[in-house]
Amino acid sequence: MIEDEQFWGRQIPLPQAPVNSATGITALKQVGNRLQCQRCTHLLAPTDRLANGEWYCRQCLQLGRLTSQLELYTIPEPNRFVTAPTGGLTWEGQLSPQQERAAQAVQDYVKARKNHLLWAVTGARKTEIVYPALAWALAQGWRVAWTSPRVDVCLELAPRLHQAFGQVAQALLYGGQEEPYTYCPLTICTVHQLLRFREAFDLIIVDEVDAFPLATSPMLQHAIAAAEKTSGCHLYLTATPGDQLQKQVANKQLAVTYVPLRYHGHLLPQIDLRVAWRWRAQLSKNKLPVALIRQMKAYLATQQRFLLFVPHVVDLPVITRALQLAGIQGGVTVHAADAERTAKVQAMRDRRIPFLITTTILERGVTFPNVNVIILGGDDAVFSTAALVQIAGRVGRSADAPSGEVTCYCHTHTKRVRLARGMIARLNLQGRRLGGRK
Amino acid sequence: MNACVWCGRPLHQVVTLNQIWCWAPLTQSVACDQCRQRFTAITSQRCPQCGRQQTDETVCVDCQRWTGRPLTNHAIYVYDEAMKAYMQQYKFQGDYALRLLMQEPIRAALFREHYDVLVPIPVDQATWQKRGFNQVTGWLRQAPFQQALLVLADHKSRPQSAKDRSARLQTPQPFTLAPNAKEVLHNQRVLLLDDVYTTGRTLRHAANQIYLGGAKAVTSLTLAR
Repeated sequence: MIEDEQFWGRQIPLPQAPVNSATGITALKQVGNRLQCQRCTHLLAPTDRLANGEWYCRQCLQLGRLTSQLELYTIPEPNRFVTAPTGGLTWEGQLSPQQERAAQAVQDYVKARKNHLLWAVTGARKTEIVYPALAWALAQGWRVAWTSPRVDVCLELAPRLHQAFGQVAQALLYGGQEEPYTYCPLTICTVHQLLRFREAFDLIIVDEVDAFPLATSPMLQHAIAAAEKTSGCHLYLTATPGDQLQKQVANKQLAVTYVPLRYHGHLLPQIDLRVAWRWRAQLSKNKLPVALIRQMKAYLATQQRFLLFVPHVVDLPVITRALQLAGIQGGVTVHAADAERTAKVQAMRDRRIPFLITTTILERGVTFPNVNVIILGGDDAVFSTAALVQIAGRVGRSADAPSGEVTCYCHTHTKRVRLARGMIARLNLQGRRLGGRK
Repeated sequence: MNACVWCGRPLHQVVTLNQIWCWAPLTQSVACDQCRQRFTAITSQRCPQCGRQQTDETVCVDCQRWTGRPLTNHAIYVYDEAMKAYMQQYKFQGDYALRLLMQEPIRAALFREHYDVLVPIPVDQATWQKRGFNQVTGWLRQAPFQQALLVLADHKSRPQSAKDRSARLQTPQPFTLAPNAKEVLHNQRVLLLDDVYTTGRTLRHAANQIYLGGAKAVTSLTLAR
């Protein structure tokens, strides 16, 4: 026996109808001469069959297998919440006049139920800017989802929202979550988890909307569209919107609010380009560019902590070796599959290690006080324009160290690097008009 | 364009001159090299009874503890993290397409074994309903096999994989012989096929039943140990 609550705004796969008012649709629907998964819209291949003749969807398998025997049952979202006039906001921080203006704009768009993009530079405190709008939505009894394509963003966000909205029941959903699902006004989840919902949310906030894999995945874009009520709206948060979003903004299909200044009022550090001629060939002889070595030694001498970004995981051991030969000690490598990843990042935050050597996994969602950034091989294809701007955004995030250096070593001059510098320059120009300081 | 059945990355198949000159049908690979190499094959340094990978070739402690008729088992891969991840997706999440990944290793291993009748370990009715396939027969592409064993309907309080060693060892006999088993098994060398050899309890239960059916020798092959 499953409680009614479980069905509100969700789609639960069951072999036969439950004993409540839930209505079902077949999980795999015939479209033309193929079957289509009604949860993730994946068109089944002719080989996606089980031994007993049933069909199954391989794309959303991680959420529990859907077969042709199952139906997806749902009860329309009733919004049965206890609301507080304040929306349960217990956050007592202050917004700067800049942020205040943006927060008001966001709130106005949410009130008008309009889709909206908040384009705020890295370190602008996007989360806090959204708080007033979120509090208003919760006070109306709206059901809200705060989602991100990245699980680390969700994990970092959950405790913050828990503190800021102490009186609001919250559920955190992601792939490895052990706790069972609960019906809450505020759901924090990965975009994948939205596939379990149908027309549930009045407001969906998508944090880091340009992060991999959302931008290139039709399944995840469908997940957001399907989980939103027909009367609902969504709010995108990012520092580096992709081409598609920028085009929508330019065509006036999507309203936008800019926050070109960081919360402490300083401009973004510009990427400093240096040529590292044939650094890959040098690296195969265990050598690094002389300028890079000199710069790192200077940082170490002044106890300036920094991050060294490299293109690929396979480069990490080679570069560590080359650094050792050059007499630079103390660096720690971090990559996506690293078991001690969180521990190492924490050690860097606690100032226990002088520098981290890492790949693009640390490009967003992490804050270290007072660091500089060096990118080796910034012309590599893994560093997209957005990634470069995000990486540059790791510098100068705290008010007591609002500036720093971003150095990018390239073998060639690429469009991606040029666009990244252009984007920073443009934002800084807007920021300067608003009184931003260097 | 073909994609790897496990990681989904595109496959680039290289046709060599060797393949062209041997005139055999060109086999389409289903998985990329990285996925294949995640598994660790068991070398000749193994326990001669259960096939466990070890540093010498003596009978291992677990096998010495078994009494009764010894059962010789061969295993193809070590039951490590990669194999667990594979089993999780194939068997427990029910991704039947992953059977393709193991069909070739199983075929090669069956070719090395000496047997007359192949008997895969069956799944019970409830599992078949839920999972929709038998994970062992899924690995067999063309090899003929006999479903000589049946599973008693209500023996399972929980799955084997959820028990510890002592609970597994106390599992009662779950198998019976199929009606046609006597004709099929009489005076034959039988090879049992299962997914994972953990304690050996399941395979020994199955072997006992097969001996009752009149087989003259029983050995077993598992994907992992």
